[in-house]
Amino acid sequence: MTQHEVPVENQENSFFNQELSRRTVLKSSAFLGGSGLLMSQINNAFGLLAGERHGQGAGYPLAGETSVIYSACLQCHTACPIKVKVLNGVAVKIDGNPYSENLFPNLPYNTPLSRSAKVDALLCPKGQAGVQTLYDPYRVVKVLKRKGPRGSNQWEVIAFDKAVDEIVNGGQLFKHLGEHRHVPGLREIRALADAKVSAAMAKDAKEVAEGKLKVADFKTRHAAHLEVLIDPEHPDLGPRNNQFLAMWGRIEHGRVEFGKRWMYGGFGSQNLIEHTSICEQSHHISYQQATHQYAAGKWSGGITHMKPDSFNSEFIMYFGTGFIEANFGPPAMAPKVTEALASGKLKVVVVDPRMSKSAAKAWKWLPVKPGTDAALALAMIRWMIENHRYDAKYLGAANKAAAKAAGETTWSNASHLVKIEQDGPGALLRASDLNLGDHDQFVAVSGGKPVACKADDAGHAVVGDLEFAGTLSGLQVKTSFTLLKEEAFSRSMAQWSELCGIPVADIEAVAKELTSHGKKAAVEFYRGAAQHTNGYYNIQTFIALNTLLGNADHKGGLSEGGGHWHEFGDKHAGQFDVNKHQPGKLTTFGLKVTREGASFEHSTLFTSYPAKRPWFPFTSNVYQEALPSAADGYPYGVKALWLHMGTPGLSVPAGQENLKILADPEKLPLFFATDIVLGETSMYADYVFPDTAIWERFATPHASPDVPYPVSKFRQPIITPLTEVVTVNGEQMHCSFEALALAFAERLKLPGFGPDGFGKGLDLTRQEDWYLKLAANMAMGDKPGDEVPEATAEEMKTFLHARRHLAPSAFTAQRWEKAIGTDKWKRTITVLNRGGRWADWNPEVVNPKGTLVKKYGKQFNLYCEAVAKGRHSFTGKRFLGSPSFTEVEDAAGHAAMDPGQPLHLITYKDILGGQSRTLPTDYWLSSILPENYFLINVKTAEQLGFKDGEQARLVSKSCPDGKWHLPNREPKDMVGKIKAVEGMVPDVVAVSWSFGHWGYGASDATVDGTVIKGDARRATGLCPNAAMKIDPALKNAPMTDPIGGSVSFYDSRVNLVHA
Amino acid sequence: MALNEVLRMHEDLDKALAKPIGKRSWTMVIDVRKCVGCHACAVSCTAENVCPPGTSYRKVFETEQGSFPNLNRWFMPANCQHCDHAPCIKAANQVAKGAITKRRDGIVEFHYDLLAKHPQANEAAKKACPYYAIVEDKGGHYTDHTPVLEPYETRDFYENGKQLTRKHDELKGTIRKCTFCNHRLDAGMLPACVSTCIGRAMYFGDANDSNSLVSELLRKEKPFDLMANQGTKPRVHYLGAQDRSSLSAATPANCFECHEGR
Repeated sequence: MTQHEVPVENQENSFFNQELSRRTVLKSSAFLGGSGLLMSQINNAFGLLAGERHGQGAGYPLAGETSVIYSACLQCHTACPIKVKVLNGVAVKIDGNPYSENLFPNLPYNTPLSRSAKVDALLCPKGQAGVQTLYDPYRVVKVLKRKGPRGSNQWEVIAFDKAVDEIVNGGQLFKHLGEHRHVPGLREIRALADAKVSAAMAKDAKEVAEGKLKVADFKTRHAAHLEVLIDPEHPDLGPRNNQFLAMWGRIEHGRVEFGKRWMYGGFGSQNLIEHTSICEQSHHISYQQATHQYAAGKWSGGITHMKPDSFNSEFIMYFGTGFIEANFGPPAMAPKVTEALASGKLKVVVVDPRMSKSAAKAWKWLPVKPGTDAALALAMIRWMIENHRYDAKYLGAANKAAAKAAGETTWSNASHLVKIEQDGPGALLRASDLNLGDHDQFVAVSGGKPVACKADDAGHAVVGDLEFAGTLSGLQVKTSFTLLKEEAFSRSMAQWSELCGIPVADIEAVAKELTSHGKKAAVEFYRGAAQHTNGYYNIQTFIALNTLLGNADHKGGLSEGGGHWHEFGDKHAGQFDVNKHQPGKLTTFGLKVTREGASFEHSTLFTSYPAKRPWFPFTSNVYQEALPSAADGYPYGVKALWLHMGTPGLSVPAGQENLKILADPEKLPLFFATDIVLGETSMYADYVFPDTAIWERFATPHASPDVPYPVSKFRQPIITPLTEVVTVNGEQMHCSFEALALAFAERLKLPGFGPDGFGKGLDLTRQEDWYLKLAANMAMGDKPGDEVPEATAEEMKTFLHARRHLAPSAFTAQRWEKAIGTDKWKRTITVLNRGGRWADWNPEVVNPKGTLVKKYGKQFNLYCEAVAKGRHSFTGKRFLGSPSFTEVEDAAGHAAMDPGQPLHLITYKDILGGQSRTLPTDYWLSSILPENYFLINVKTAEQLGFKDGEQARLVSKSCPDGKWHLPNREPKDMVGKIKAVEGMVPDVVAVSWSFGHWGYGASDATVDGTVIKGDARRATGLCPNAAMKIDPALKNAPMTDPIGGSVSFYDSRVNLVHA
Repeated sequence: MALNEVLRMHEDLDKALAKPIGKRSWTMVIDVRKCVGCHACAVSCTAENVCPPGTSYRKVFETEQGSFPNLNRWFMPANCQHCDHAPCIKAANQVAKGAITKRRDGIVEFHYDLLAKHPQANEAAKKACPYYAIVEDKGGHYTDHTPVLEPYETRDFYENGKQLTRKHDELKGTIRKCTFCNHRLDAGMLPACVSTCIGRAMYFGDANDSNSLVSELLRKEKPFDLMANQGTKPRVHYLGAQDRSSLSAATPANCFECHEGR
């Protein structure tokens, strides 16, 4: 305990928090040694405490600024800026932050806190129900060790230090349960701990993978250290450190960079896998490939996401998403759209097999057959080309200079030539191929003649012909546009219509409307079309629609978003460059267990096709592949897993396969989790460490491109965390993801943590040392002169007074000030007092005269060369560079739709629920929607012999008995009620997320011999994932998009039987 | 106008609060074209007013019409209409005079102390409301029968200028309903449902102020009152009910037809 810390009086509770967080007055001893200035302010704050002051809101304490702490939600990934009202130390009400994008116009940043306290901005129901996730009666607040087989939900409370020591040191940890195996500890797994050796080996291992260095030579060169490798015959697998896997699901900015520092530079493992592929990763990867720029022989720098400028759009077409439910995200999107709809300024079309809430507001709902969105998009492209309804001038611009001449900020490679090789379109033609120029120049045809063209050449304009197919210097070539046209014309309108189920007349009407608003129209998409095995290609067809309009950077068109102030401090010397300062850090190397970001051909494992499991050269975070790959030992097995804020046993299709692996100590010797509850998957862990909930911790989530002005959100603790207090680095802190990371770092002496963690005199001994530097970086701005004002004396008082209920283990002004230094403290308080930083409302930004203020300003790749040069790791066949309609395929490249099952399964998110969180455990939400159901068309219900409201069971080839088979537990039925509606495509069944829990307080747990009864309200409904198709080529994993990496959620055929 | 509506409503509110209570005429306007069926209003209301399980001052109804693929789906928020000729006042006062009163600013106010003493007044008022807007506090907490009775359920809350608690089921058996969040109004804040509406479908202000946003909206478009033919004179007015020009769906004209609008 440091001299500034005092024992915490309100944390002496048992396993489940049993005591209200009561007001803890800051002890004066907490401030010994504080600056004189600070002392006087604190004294004032105590003065205020004596006579509670609530200004205009007399009698209603929540109207006053000292009852408010601003932060950021995470009930979904939108991470809305929130305003949390605290009453007697309890967070009682959550609203939107009026300084933020949740209010139009947002309050000026300099608005006094007393004024903003009275203005609540909007917030979705999930965000508001955060109170119930925070104060969840099933929250874990002490460290637990299992006292039965994995998943049995039998536990004993264990001291934090003992649990950390056991995990670090390993040994016979479960001997008392009759498990006589040696559990490898983290110290043993972290075989490579020398920074210099790691850097040298990393360099050479890369050369081995590329075939530039022989394995034998590698072994000679590193003879003294071969024992650190997983397999010296395959140095490109990397060090044994890689056998520690971190599956950190919903981890986001601020926390993930802290985690990467720990996992990469600290522990030295490559295997940090986030959850993105079960969300919408193929959407990101499509955008990235479509926006990569070619420089120095490489395609790189692509952006992962754009959104319609819905403040100004006249027409938006939503494929598989909307503006009310899910997406990224409704609170900021919905009011822009509803206002424009009600005023008649905007028309929207929603493409979705289900009549969503967004579709309810649409000019047209296009009830597409699942997975055929690309057919619909290509039909529209065909119609647009046939009717010359595309921006030919835009598309003709072959480089930056031509774009400029055409009055555009972006351009495309529509006119660039592609070499047609024996097995299809391959690389883009280079000027060097024709002796017209160098290898960095592409070639367009202008007036029949090939012309060299450097994409980012701002001086010499090249305008190319859109359509060309021919032979140049013996090379067969076609333009990108011609390739797209050939794909669009490969089927008639009637054939496309037949495929997607949308009448030709509707396709034409929508295509006409899309092309009737100039640049003020956009196509928007997110998860729906992305989570298929052909998700990458589907998304490329939508991006192509936007490219044909040439709408990027245009008012009402496609926007990159307003960006943010860079919190990691790499912009100028006045900031903390936190990532750069990690003295002694390790260099990670070797394959990730998921084989992502790597090519089969460029590895020592390559002999011939097929690979044993798929490789993913273009994507990352292939969450669903991590555990099955480890179980198959391909490319290697995993010895320990840290699961954090993720539930791969529930949320991944065929999650039961993950559970089989997680329950097997032979396949996974050590498994620990950080979680706020005993979740469906964390209940299978050997140890569960309580994490802090969203409202008790820090992070710096980023805004969606939907917001056109700069936004930097800052999450910070609102109440004293309910988790137990532990001592790490001699300091008291609450058990959390960060505390655990710091405790491991302390024992393993990981570089970049502990005293002098950032360098001499700059400690990283508590999480504030990390996170408050990020807040300070926001405050300092991206360049000198861009700082926020210093907090006034009045605001300093408010800052302290609003935190008067926080225990010293969570907050002391003195310790916080120390984390960033007195010189930045007052500016940082300005940021903390507002929960982040926002640009002031500016009509010239939200309603610009010309193009959007924040511009993308680069090339769009109608043809993605990098992808076209890649090969499928099973078939060895080329991937396609053009937007295309492709069939659903398994890992082996075989057609994958199971015949003989009458229904196509899809899922959706009601706005009341997240994928695995919020419903039904937040009771305010479940009182509105207590369970989910099988949403099917009335006629389909009739054909299957079901009446509305009847019980049905979901079955499939992968799950013939319609049950989740849970290792060491009773099975969980996939049973629910039929809800027969008109608003569903026939022969499709939709099941919403959020339900079907067996953990998360839905079932009994035993802790130290006491049974904690589960709550039946939390066990309602079903999660359909167990019915999703298991890839026949892999047998222990779902199907995956080989390019984008998205798991297939929407390619399973199923049936409903009477329950 | 549209972009500035929240701050404008705050200005309207400040102006109204500067006047004596009798000069204010609180009015709610709901534009059903903009309701997205998210239930944020209902959750916000429940949190703000610490309602027990099964009790909510605000409900959002939902239905679909037509047949595949030509159909409409729409959402309809409803709460106490704060009628100027409130059937509940008449009914309750026959049992217990003063149990329900009409404030000078138009708000219909329940007096829990009197209602608690006269169970029949509760029953009579609930039965009299044609909008089903009155609910009985059945007591209990969401986290009863779980490991922890959580603190947000036992906290103090504020209605009609009074500090209340439900810690020990103090309001059990009493009828409850929307107060227009007058505790927030008094503090210079808009009703919780209005602030939080993600479709920005809800408006609130002083109808006596001809420059207020609600007055302007009610001038621009003919509003629709629920069950106007019953002569209740509600203070909640709906917009967009018959307007089908800009949207093919989401216009609940039929809802109002069934509920005998004007």
